[in-house]
Amino acid sequence: MTPRPPHVALERVSKVFTRKPDFAERIAISLGWPEPPIVRAVDGVSLAVDHGEALGLVGESGCGKSTLGRIVAGVHAKSGGRFEFEGREEADWSTAEAKRARLDIQMIFQDPMSSLNPRKRIADIIGEAPVVHGLVQARDREDAVAALMREVGLDPDYARRFPHQFSGGQRQRIGIARALAVQPKFLVCDEAVAALDVSIQAQVLNLFMDLRERRGLTYLFISHDLGVIEHLTDRVAIMYLGRIVEVGPTREIFAGPAHPYTQALLEEAPRIGRGRRVYAPLKGELPSPLAPPPGCRFHTRCPYVMPVCKIEAPELKQIAAGRIAACHLNDK
Amino acid sequence: MSALLEVEGLKTHFFTRAGVVKAVDGVSFSLAEGEVLGLVGESGSGKTVANFSILGLVDPPGRVVEGSIRFRGEDLVGAPISRMRKLRGRDIAMIFQDPMMTLTPVLRIETQMVETVLAHEKVSAKAARDRAIDVLARVGIPSPAERIRAYPHQFSGGMRQRVAIAIALLHKPALILADEPTTALDVTIQGQIIAEMQKLVAETGAAMIWVSHDLAVVETIADKIAVMYAGRIVEYGRSGDVIGQPAHPYARGLLDSIPSRTTPGQHLNQIPGMAPSVLHLPPGCAFQPRCRFADAACAVPPPIVDTGEDRWARCVRPLAPEAAL
Ligand SMILES: Nc1ncnc2c1ncn2[C@@H]1O[C@H](COP(=O)(O)OP(=O)(O)O)[C@@H](O)[C@H]1O
Ligand SMILES: Nc1ncnc2c1ncn2[C@@H]1O[C@H](COP(=O)(O)OP(=O)(O)O)[C@@H](O)[C@H]1O
Ligand SMILES: [Mg+2]
Ligand SMILES: [Mg+2]
Repeated sequence: MTPRPPHVALERVSKVFTRKPDFAERIAISLGWPEPPIVRAVDGVSLAVDHGEALGLVGESGCGKSTLGRIVAGVHAKSGGRFEFEGREEADWSTAEAKRARLDIQMIFQDPMSSLNPRKRIADIIGEAPVVHGLVQARDREDAVAALMREVGLDPDYARRFPHQFSGGQRQRIGIARALAVQPKFLVCDEAVAALDVSIQAQVLNLFMDLRERRGLTYLFISHDLGVIEHLTDRVAIMYLGRIVEVGPTREIFAGPAHPYTQALLEEAPRIGRGRRVYAPLKGELPSPLAPPPGCRFHTRCPYVMPVCKIEAPELKQIAAGRIAACHLNDK
Repeated sequence: MSALLEVEGLKTHFFTRAGVVKAVDGVSFSLAEGEVLGLVGESGSGKTVANFSILGLVDPPGRVVEGSIRFRGEDLVGAPISRMRKLRGRDIAMIFQDPMMTLTPVLRIETQMVETVLAHEKVSAKAARDRAIDVLARVGIPSPAERIRAYPHQFSGGMRQRVAIAIALLHKPALILADEPTTALDVTIQGQIIAEMQKLVAETGAAMIWVSHDLAVVETIADKIAVMYAGRIVEYGRSGDVIGQPAHPYARGLLDSIPSRTTPGQHLNQIPGMAPSVLHLPPGCAFQPRCRFADAACAVPPPIVDTGEDRWARCVRPLAPEAAL
């Protein structure tokens, strides 16, 4: 038997955003000046997510987590690299395959309000897509919506209401029900609990865990909250300025991070129960993604920086079974 | 230690068309010189309104309807505006989540800092500028003598928050009210700001109220913790006590909701339901509809019960230490 290919695999995937030049810049460009700066939001990322796995994606703001998540969910087109869905490269997809991949991977956003149409009733928000895609007969729509609402912990009696009539936690449940309506197998959750109060966040995290068990879902779980990542994921990838610096089993990385950036993140994230303590934080600012440092992008803040780090970008290398890190400390 | 700040029976209500919003409804605590109190609670629990009440910044339709706020023995409730202006910025300083609440975008940092110094002290402009540079250096702004010439937009979010902190520290305040000062920042930058604040309160001996929805952040910096729910403090005590052995079922539920306390992959012991609207509080204990220990006794307003040394809970039946965790 051949091993089952990963649910989703990225190979050297990049995403470049160009800023629209303003008037003065357009004139300058016409006179032969260089174009305005580009942001390499995602820069050569390779990552595979297996069926049924929960992979965490961690990093500070602007490092490219959302961009990567959107590429996976098909919201953004990538600028370069390969994207495989169940072993088939995007360029080779038939129309049917493309549709299947698009429906199979759904996205849950941080701010449910901005992703829910305020003029639509909950029944339509949840029920429209599955009918359009022929997954549910029009006459079964009401029952399907009620079942989905029950599954995410909403009272089906509220199906006729509008999004603004719900609390933040309930709106997030609506967003989840809408994503589930097209029977996906893969959820990209982009800071899906970040805007919620702690007690509501716990309820939604429990829902994500239930859904995973019930539906056998694969997750790409993007969060800046390391407690959430530790709780929910099997493996974790750490990003810094568009690149992945470390990947490995969550338990192992939390017990012994290899990359100096991962070490700093874990050291500095406030975790409950550690008591009052004196911080020895990482020095320096997060560099601008418009002008990332040469060599290893973390070298400007790294406590172990060596001359080579300023010149040469370290490759991701295996450092133990199932663990990779990009750091010159692992050369030799 | 004498109390620097004593808040007693504070009620701040907003008289809106929809009804009376009891944003703060009977808050009492005291703060010793140099002490750091962490004020935690979920959004809408009244943390910001409590802080604004202390500063005399509550605007109509809101007002302090009951209680006293004694700062060094002087009651600030009903104090003249001129008196409050004097205290604000000099003796009591405020740091907001958004540093632009403190900073003016169109003025150089230098202008803003020098004006702040001169507003409360008669010193030369040169002396004011020197002090500003000195304080900027203390909050970790590199090359402060040059950076002071910059405008706020030329700084990153973390650097702006440092400048706002520097402005708060210009007059060596005895009390700092910090309202979610690191909530909008990234983890490593948050770490830097917390480290800076720890150092500064230790150096200057200032007392501080650190407002946050994040118990883990509060734990790293606070001596005492007060947990707010629906306009009231439901539990108060030393940090280690409240986090190690919460006595109020809500405090316990909040702690249980934090993922890293439960074995990974297991269900979190969630609190059912959601916080009530402060327009329609249930009678008796406001937490009762969500409390798994509630019974008929909770239908009347709960008493304040001592639960140990220097700690209390607003609950008819606080959890015994061994029941907790
Ligand atoms: N639509 C866009 N146009 C231009 N730049 C963008 C766009 N989306 C993201 N970026 C830039 O790409 C980088 C990565 O952004 P993002 O993926 O949102 O990071 P994260 O989610 O980790 O905070 C940032 O520098 C951001 O400003
Ligand atoms: N100007 C106002 N008018 C009416 N209600 C207000 C006003 N300001 C605050 N509130 C209400 O007071 C309650 C407490 O708010 P706040 O102190 O900001 O909460 P927190 O800081 O804990 O999130 C909330 O229910 C809020 O809606
Ligand atoms: Mg993002
Ligand atoms: Mg607030």
